[in-house]
Amino acid sequence: MHRILHASLNHNPYPIEEDAYAHLETYLAESAIALANYPDRDEILLDLEQAIADQCRRRQPPQATAITLQELSSALEEMGPVRIDEPDSKRINENVTSAAPILFQQISQGAWICGVCLGIARYLRIDVTLIRGFAAALLLFSGGTSLLFYGVLAGIVPYAEIDPNGPPVSRIPAKLREWIEYLRGNIARLTR
Amino acid sequence: MNPITEEHHFAAIKKGLLEFAVLRVVGSGELYAADILTRLEKTEFATQGGTLYPLLSKLRREGWVNYEWQETSLGPPRKYYRLTSQGRNHLDTLDRYWKTIDRTLLELAS
Repeated sequence: MHRILHASLNHNPYPIEEDAYAHLETYLAESAIALANYPDRDEILLDLEQAIADQCRRRQPPQATAITLQELSSALEEMGPVRIDEPDSKRINENVTSAAPILFQQISQGAWICGVCLGIARYLRIDVTLIRGFAAALLLFSGGTSLLFYGVLAGIVPYAEIDPNGPPVSRIPAKLREWIEYLRGNIARLTR
Repeated sequence: MNPITEEHHFAAIKKGLLEFAVLRVVGSGELYAADILTRLEKTEFATQGGTLYPLLSKLRREGWVNYEWQETSLGPPRKYYRLTSQGRNHLDTLDRYWKTIDRTLLELAS
């Protein structure tokens, strides 16, 4: 005589013999462990339950009432243990957030003169209008010293690469960039 | 080489290509998981439900496959998988890459 239990597989009840139930419980518990931290874990477990139920039904004779241990063992053997490929499970556990450092560069696209103010604005994450206003005020009060400072920055701060999807480069920044890069090229040649 | 060591040596290659094989099978039409297992059964890529279900879930998360519930005459509704357009593009890329590898290996032999 066998005791018959009911296993809920993918939300459907299946009569199952007691020893088979214990075996099934172990398989599903091991699968849940293998899928720990895996997204869609619960959904995969339901898929597995349904597949096991289908496999058992295929093995049952037409008049059978409950899943036997033999039927279940054979079904689980065909299912095989839950395996997930390593890189995928690793990637889920890592939370990759690599932020590239913000570089101080001259930005020609959208620039008024050389792009120094745009570069400062991006570096400090401030609206460029504030930087330009500040630069203009500085020019008024410093009496030209700030102009010299601007020139030095324009001379030494590297250029950001032109983004093909970005705004166009106006005529003045383009011309100035051409000259500065020409000068830098000459200086580099002299100092080599 | 005897069949057992052969099996062992090729395991890594087959494992790496299983995803490709599954995408190919899913690309051939709307299939449910057991159909996919049957299609792979007689090939080098024969696999088991315990491997296929997590893999299908991963492919769905990548956006390469999607499924649709369909009623069946026996038992509850089943998930029928098919390739998404993104999956189709990915499969084309894989196909091209595979041809490149194949060519490279031939060239290395000559």
